[in-house]
Amino acid sequence: MTTMAISDALYDELVGILGEDGVLTGKPARWNRTRTPAPFPVHRWKEYVPDVVVLPRTTEQVAEIVRLANRTGTPVVPRAAGTGLTDGATPLRGGILLDVKRMNEIREIDLVDRTVTVQPGINMLKLNEVLQPHGVMFPDNPASYPCSMVGGRIGTSGWSLIGARYGHTRDLVCSMEVVLPTGDVIRVGEGGGRKLRKASTGYTIKPLFFGHEGTLGVVTEATLELVPRPQAEFAAFFGYRDYDTAWRSTGALAKSGFATLAGVVLFDEWKLAYLRRDDEAYIEQPDWLKSVVAVAMYGNKAEVVPAAREIMRIGRESGGSYLGDEISQGDWAARHDRYAIPLHGRLRTGEVAPMSWHCEDAALNYSVLPRVREEWHAIADHYIRRYGIFDDWGMFAYTNGAYKPWGDYLVEIDIGIWEQKLDDEMWEAWLNCKREITEVTLRYGGSISACHGASRAGDVEYVPQELGGAFDVMKKIKRALDPNNVMNPGKYLLDQAYED
Amino acid sequence: MFGFRLSAQKPPDPRRITDDVVMRFDHIYEVDPDKMAIFGQQDIPAWDTHRIVDSRWDHLAWMHQHFADTVLGMSDLGLNEDGSEPEQ
Repeated sequence: MTTMAISDALYDELVGILGEDGVLTGKPARWNRTRTPAPFPVHRWKEYVPDVVVLPRTTEQVAEIVRLANRTGTPVVPRAAGTGLTDGATPLRGGILLDVKRMNEIREIDLVDRTVTVQPGINMLKLNEVLQPHGVMFPDNPASYPCSMVGGRIGTSGWSLIGARYGHTRDLVCSMEVVLPTGDVIRVGEGGGRKLRKASTGYTIKPLFFGHEGTLGVVTEATLELVPRPQAEFAAFFGYRDYDTAWRSTGALAKSGFATLAGVVLFDEWKLAYLRRDDEAYIEQPDWLKSVVAVAMYGNKAEVVPAAREIMRIGRESGGSYLGDEISQGDWAARHDRYAIPLHGRLRTGEVAPMSWHCEDAALNYSVLPRVREEWHAIADHYIRRYGIFDDWGMFAYTNGAYKPWGDYLVEIDIGIWEQKLDDEMWEAWLNCKREITEVTLRYGGSISACHGASRAGDVEYVPQELGGAFDVMKKIKRALDPNNVMNPGKYLLDQAYED
Repeated sequence: MFGFRLSAQKPPDPRRITDDVVMRFDHIYEVDPDKMAIFGQQDIPAWDTHRIVDSRWDHLAWMHQHFADTVLGMSDLGLNEDGSEPEQ
């Protein structure tokens, strides 16, 4: 049995474009494509359900759907794997949910000019399985690596765990085909080149189509960077007696200048307490261990071995104790686990409760990390004490700059939320917690997000404040490219673009 | 013979490791059952616990191999197990 929520005329036109198997109106198909892994107001789920799900296979089908949406004034929300953490793929006004999972072809592997051209619905892990025999890799490596997709990575302007070595998503796309909000199809790259890494012809348009969260169109093909498959991987986890020593050590390691350095990550005392309580690698670690710094390196063995020896020297001389090969290698290999395992948190009594994971992220400079950490934890503690459905899972700071990992960090505080307890009061409390965290970020000269995007409630209210005059430019671009406001309407406060 | 009933291969009684954690098999930790009153702890036969843990090691090995040909440890760098320089 299906539940029709769209007009017969619209349904018939969609079937005409996609065939019956490409148009889903049943409740499970629509309700399962509503939320993302971020905490969600589950008590108000039905407010975010799309009216219909479509599964195109070709660029032309996507363009026809978008043109139909313009004719009928129907919202279109693109969705890849739905693993994003800022609700970009969550419909705010029903309409057509455009799921790209059937657009999963590898169109070309070019081993001469070192690119691979794909459709947006392919997953990076599956892509790299195909690339591995050729000795190359597409090095975009988010925590959601086993389940996220290229199209979503572009729409979010994703952040990679090995970005210091290889760059983040926006650094790894040579060009892409985009269906604009009017249904026109363009290709954006470096100048007009499909496989170029740098050009100076005309405006640099390509960055506009990273991080727009589906508000400026749908990417339907992307030509991606290929790098040599690494010969060697090295990971080292160092333990420290206090956070400040670990913070200084992080700075020294990040400034080491090695091209093979893929990332440095600093875990604070709250994170260690969480790991000591609930993670097999840390439960039996000694009491003096209060902070951990992890380093990862990739490249040719001839480069990585001497660089890794030097990293070990810097780690030791800056106060770190090596935690051993088993923890270092095992924890690094487990870096995608958050998307694969059910999580539990603790109430203040220590009692276990099933909790979903929220990581509130920001981009912040190295110099302010210790002060931000104290203020963020104080905010979290206030809400934990008052409401009893939250748990502080600690903070980490991760080198942020592609190829230049020394000056700024992706900073996250992980907070467990007992979603089944959410009601309007609790949800509003959560949003207020996010708002207070965001205010600290902006006060210290940071950005609301390094990784996830900032289009969720609790973040988005501060986007005009952070961007200033640039937000007015955002609105003008949105109105110019999407005159009927059909692409993911309601996101990023962009309805303001149509107010006059 | 493996049985698919808990009684066919009942796990040993837990040993306390910390205030929060107990252990039935070496290096396999469980939340203290006393802290799982709201949501009861699931009974798992011993063979299933070992299957899950073995799968976990397989997964980690696969992930290493997926990203690089070789994983370097301290011996590959010519360092001691604790990361220190060997005495000359």
